[in-house]
Amino acid sequence: MVRRVLGLGASVLLSSFVVFLVPFVSPGDPVRSLLRARMDIGAADEATVQAYAEQFGLHDPMLVQFGRWLGRFATGDMGISHISGTPVADQVLPAIGVTLSLAGSALLVAIVASILLGVASATRAGQWPDRLITSITHALIAIPEYALAPLLVLLFAVRFSLLPSAGFDSPASLVLPVFILALRPISFFTVAVRSGVCQALDSEHVLAARARGLSSTQALVRHVVPHGLLPLWTMVGVWFAGLLGGSVIVEVIFAIPGMGRLIFDSIVDADIPVAQGGVVVVVACAVVVTGIVDLVHKISDPNVRIGVRHG
Amino acid sequence: MKLGRLSAAAGFAALALALAACSSTSASSAPEKAADPEARVVVANFRAPVSNWALESDDAYVLSIAGCLETLAKYDQGTKTVEPMLATSWKQSSDTEWDFELRKNVEFQDGTIMDAKAVAASLNHVLKATAPARAVNPKTIKKVEALDADTVRVTTPGADPLLPYRMASVNAGVLSPAAYTGKGIDPMHHCTGPFAPVSEKAGQSLTLDRNENYWDGEVKLAGGEIRYITEGATRATQVQTVEADISMSIPATSLATLEADDKISVLKADSPRTSTLYLNNSRAPFDNPELRKAATMALDLPAMAASIYEGAAQPATGPFAPSEPWANPDLAVPQVNLVEAKKLVEASGYKQEKPLEIIAITERAEFAGVGAIIQEQFKQIGLQANVVTKSYGAAEPDVLAGKYDMILSQRNRMIDIADPIGFLQSDYTCEGGYNLSHYCNEDYDKLVGQALVEKDETKRHDLYRKAGDILAEDAANVWLVNEQAIDAVGAKVQGYVQDPLTRYVLTKDLAKTS
Repeated sequence: MVRRVLGLGASVLLSSFVVFLVPFVSPGDPVRSLLRARMDIGAADEATVQAYAEQFGLHDPMLVQFGRWLGRFATGDMGISHISGTPVADQVLPAIGVTLSLAGSALLVAIVASILLGVASATRAGQWPDRLITSITHALIAIPEYALAPLLVLLFAVRFSLLPSAGFDSPASLVLPVFILALRPISFFTVAVRSGVCQALDSEHVLAARARGLSSTQALVRHVVPHGLLPLWTMVGVWFAGLLGGSVIVEVIFAIPGMGRLIFDSIVDADIPVAQGGVVVVVACAVVVTGIVDLVHKISDPNVRIGVRHG
Repeated sequence: MKLGRLSAAAGFAALALALAACSSTSASSAPEKAADPEARVVVANFRAPVSNWALESDDAYVLSIAGCLETLAKYDQGTKTVEPMLATSWKQSSDTEWDFELRKNVEFQDGTIMDAKAVAASLNHVLKATAPARAVNPKTIKKVEALDADTVRVTTPGADPLLPYRMASVNAGVLSPAAYTGKGIDPMHHCTGPFAPVSEKAGQSLTLDRNENYWDGEVKLAGGEIRYITEGATRATQVQTVEADISMSIPATSLATLEADDKISVLKADSPRTSTLYLNNSRAPFDNPELRKAATMALDLPAMAASIYEGAAQPATGPFAPSEPWANPDLAVPQVNLVEAKKLVEASGYKQEKPLEIIAITERAEFAGVGAIIQEQFKQIGLQANVVTKSYGAAEPDVLAGKYDMILSQRNRMIDIADPIGFLQSDYTCEGGYNLSHYCNEDYDKLVGQALVEKDETKRHDLYRKAGDILAEDAANVWLVNEQAIDAVGAKVQGYVQDPLTRYVLTKDLAKTS
């Protein structure tokens, strides 16, 4: 637990510092980027740039600025957005709520679908259902979200008027973005589940279980699936962390005010407190979720439950 | 702007939608019906508020589009004149003082009376902003004070015949005193307009209800919703699926699809934006006007407008769009003349030692394609050029410092006020603060100086025309295409008047059938 908390602290510190460095290593004046985000302006006059920088202390040395942010952060204050002048928390917390529900739903769909597909594929290894599932999952890995999203919008929103084309204000509006975000994890998870189940099917303890008189279905449910899903839980944590900050394309296409878009926009506009706040929250969520997944992993690992030590 | 940074993904998405939608079924338009007083209109807007509703920022546009924010005066795009709004009249009491007579019995949506004190407080709040508004700032307005309950005096630092235009800028909007809280601007029920904002979903939309006590009479709609949809293809889809009634700023890639849909009206008007190939006039080779003219002659602007812009832009004739009252009607689209262009290049004596550089800013996805076309057409007159893509922020320091050859960019001539004086001054005078091309011509500066103090509008427009002619004659830049403002409107909407300056959408006369 202590190790995990220390790891979280180190991750937060490192990621927030990397984000903080962006405007210092980017060409152009970050203060002018901030002003352009507020209004479609040509070149702001130097007096305005200086006054704006002064307001937020943006001309202080880099480490002074980072230290100031860190000091505030240590007291639970994520700072003030340099564009809106409002607390960063007011932007970050709603966005993480949106993203957690989006990413969480996508992963839930992916887990359920991949278990069904992976088990079906493994138990019919080499037969046509296996070949079909394998082909589809491989194809889905290759299709990018920005290509799939408009096609599905066209089909389900424009052509058949079944679902909204954008927004985040009803369960129906979640269907397409969740489905699109779920497709790639479904592909990867299915491959992992198939592989895990195939290995479990060939294992000695499953053969022993069958020899004890368990039906194939009983053996599958009690012994094969629990073992076969172990690789899945490891992947879930990694994918969840990725989806928290990495669903920006889906968020843009579906006009969803999520965290990926918030972090992306704030980095582009040099609104670093918002980017830092966003990254910190994403990292914290990722660490917490990874911890939960580890726990699920341990609970669901039959070897751990019966006291078998690996290695 | 930001979406341009996701241009590859967004462009692909738009293209996929446009191609696939060609097969969608089109229904016939609904028969003419009476407006439904309980109807609400959904607008897919390209702009999202990001500055906590600060009126000095572009958030003011969102409040104006929403039918919430109003100003003392209003620029009517149809009549091309400044007309009364919250002020019924104004007069210039001295060279630097303007008195605005307020409309009587106007209430803010919270029931407070709109008096001179409230108006002065609103305008002074904008004047005090750290990052001041383009039109209303301490350089243009010295002070605002209430002379009596119904009169506001605005004092300018120098003579400014365009002050009523400044008072028509959305940044000069007037809000109830209660809107100015310690945490920023709260627009909820604090405007004077036909619609009162009642709730906001952060980052998604603003919901408005009819203002039952609107000073200008009956409001036909029960309310509306402004959705913040920054991705152009998504806005186009929203009007196709009837999720939105009006979608603003439709991208070129969605144009053909929407035009083919008989349930949708596509409205186009000249926008005040001209995509321009800025030439660095301050250093070789484009410090030579003959070479700049050769560059103009080498480019096939109609082909560019038809191909890259897919009909969403018109080839430019000069620095102004032809529909603008100060544009020279005799200026024609420059014709391609490769023979003459080559002669000019040869006569200039320019010996190219290394390829020139064309910067295509990434905020505008189409500029990469435009740059490639220019590169090819320049080759035909013996000019080698490379296209490099950069974000505007990354390019700006070098461009302002005059360390570049060419940059593709675009400007809104009327971003501050509905008059091009700010653009002519900042972009082309020798001391202009945004003179990207580093152009300098004393005759031009003299004309702009005269225009700045010219009270007579006709004479002022004439001065603008002459200034524009000088720019065209000197080939200061290559003005490529005038962009069109394109809105898509659903069949049930009635009374929508397109505003190319994107200030007004939800109005008291906007209606919708059931």
